[in-house]
Amino acid sequence: MQPERRRGPSRPIVAGLLGLACALPALAAGTDAQRQQAAPCEACHGAEGRSTAPETPSLAGQPKQFVTTQLVMFREGNRKNAVMSPMAVPLSNAEINELGSYFAAQSPAPAGKPLAAGAAAAGRGLAEKLYCTQCHGAELQGQQHIPRLAGQQTEYLRTQLLGFKAGTRFDMDGNMTAAAQALTLADIETLASYLSTLR
Amino acid sequence: MTRAPSRRTATRRSKEALAVLGGLWLAGSVCAQTPAPPAAPAPAWQQGRSSDQATSTLHPFAPILTGRPASELPVDKLKLPAGFKVEIYADGIPEARSLALGDKGTVFVSNRNLKDVYAIVDRDGKRSVFKILKGLNSPNGVAFHSGTLYVAERHRITAYEGIEDRLANPPEAKLVIDNLDPTQQPGHFWKFLAAGPDGKLYFNVGAPGNIVMPGYTQATINRVDPKTGVLEIYASGVRNSVGFDWDPRTKDLWFTNHARDWVSDDLPNDTLHRASKKGMNFGYPFCHQGDLPDPEYGKSRACSEFDAPAFKLGAHIAPNGMRFYTGTMFPAEYRNNIFIAMHGSWNRSTKQGYSVMRATVDANGKVELTPFLEGFLTDAKADPPMWGRPNDVLVMKDGALLVADDYNGVVYRVSYRQ
Repeated sequence: MQPERRRGPSRPIVAGLLGLACALPALAAGTDAQRQQAAPCEACHGAEGRSTAPETPSLAGQPKQFVTTQLVMFREGNRKNAVMSPMAVPLSNAEINELGSYFAAQSPAPAGKPLAAGAAAAGRGLAEKLYCTQCHGAELQGQQHIPRLAGQQTEYLRTQLLGFKAGTRFDMDGNMTAAAQALTLADIETLASYLSTLR
Repeated sequence: MTRAPSRRTATRRSKEALAVLGGLWLAGSVCAQTPAPPAAPAPAWQQGRSSDQATSTLHPFAPILTGRPASELPVDKLKLPAGFKVEIYADGIPEARSLALGDKGTVFVSNRNLKDVYAIVDRDGKRSVFKILKGLNSPNGVAFHSGTLYVAERHRITAYEGIEDRLANPPEAKLVIDNLDPTQQPGHFWKFLAAGPDGKLYFNVGAPGNIVMPGYTQATINRVDPKTGVLEIYASGVRNSVGFDWDPRTKDLWFTNHARDWVSDDLPNDTLHRASKKGMNFGYPFCHQGDLPDPEYGKSRACSEFDAPAFKLGAHIAPNGMRFYTGTMFPAEYRNNIFIAMHGSWNRSTKQGYSVMRATVDANGKVELTPFLEGFLTDAKADPPMWGRPNDVLVMKDGALLVADDYNGVVYRVSYRQ
């Protein structure tokens, strides 16, 4: 059984905040239809796409084109995952577009806990040295079809990088498979821990 | 005499051994999914990049794979010469790539990253779009000839006979030729397809990377006789051509060609070529644009050994589909001009292209290039710099010009009224 989290506001404060939030017209950015459509996604990817499950990626603040491209690739069978593939099969292009808009509009939050200064500097150094920042952006927030890495779940990042290195992760243009060849297992740990802490 | 290891040391060693085993297990679990993966080379588009270009932020642009509805597109931003009008002919065709026209008026639209072929049918004033073929392997090429639709996938060409009479229930694919990609080449594996005046099917096999020594069948334009399956190399030294057509007057083959990347913003030029006979060689990888020796391969062969292009179109302008204008709707001076869909730059700090251009060829073979359909480029320094990308053009029976936009998954129609 998981120990109860010690930190964070006390229950009355949480209740009060929730009450306040409920009084507002909308909890999350997006339309009612989008929120309804995204509800099954949020069961695993977390409220508003901020994942709390180590192996499940956060979608909040991902570029719209990244979300839509991946959903199309799951639907078409190019990228395969036991959970995601069947989820994507019934989705129309229009529905995928709405999901992309919804998750792109949500505020991301870092999944990882802050690192010691040395570890953070090592992570930043690697992200620059290995050219992560060239495509994913200076702040690693993604662009167009290229994902946001900032704040992503450490375990998810680790799995993806290992998959790219092994050549088993779907890769539309071969960029990540090639880039991951230079990574040692230690690099992957350093990068995954660092990226998960970013905003 | 060696002292026996203390208990503490032994424990530490066994922990180290476990860590090593753990590492092996981890590596093993990674490797188990693909037996001994070879170190992946740089992706095809990065190949040939110099070490001081490694920090470049230039990258190819991916299409929006869901397509965008017509209502989201700023079509009013498009510009044409006076008298011409552009509208959206059809949307909902994600990654609309190449176009072909059936005898009965069906417009066939292909995919490159996706797997489908679509049909646009315009009947009794009602236009409908539907997917007719799916599950194909990069079906970039479509051509129509004598009642048959031909589709070029990365590895084969197939025929769908009489398909216009049964779009809802297409016939089984008949194989024309197979094994066109025996090496699973990493780059330029998508094929443009067109039926020549000789009834043969012409298609490109691109160079497998940006600047590499091609194999025997690579960096070529080929033709195959659909009746016999006989395959010939028609032209060689062609890095990658994804658009060609025949001059209706001379029956000469004309084609566009993408030059190599990572030389500079302004070199080499992408090119327009005329192949008046079989067996011409246009120089790749030794010579680009007819007069620029390659920085590496140029040492081995001289440009004078090769056939020159008909025209230099501009560096990184990305000329894709092209067609001679054979209709009668446009003013008479447009007849037999070439319309070229410029897909637009990525490997250039200031982007250009993202337009349809008009090439006129005079009796002496002199080419003049002027803009025709513009306004897709929004900011030449931005990433991405455009809201749409012309990829192919098609002359309709009424003389209107269709333009495929693979970024948005739509087809535009350009018409003219005096």
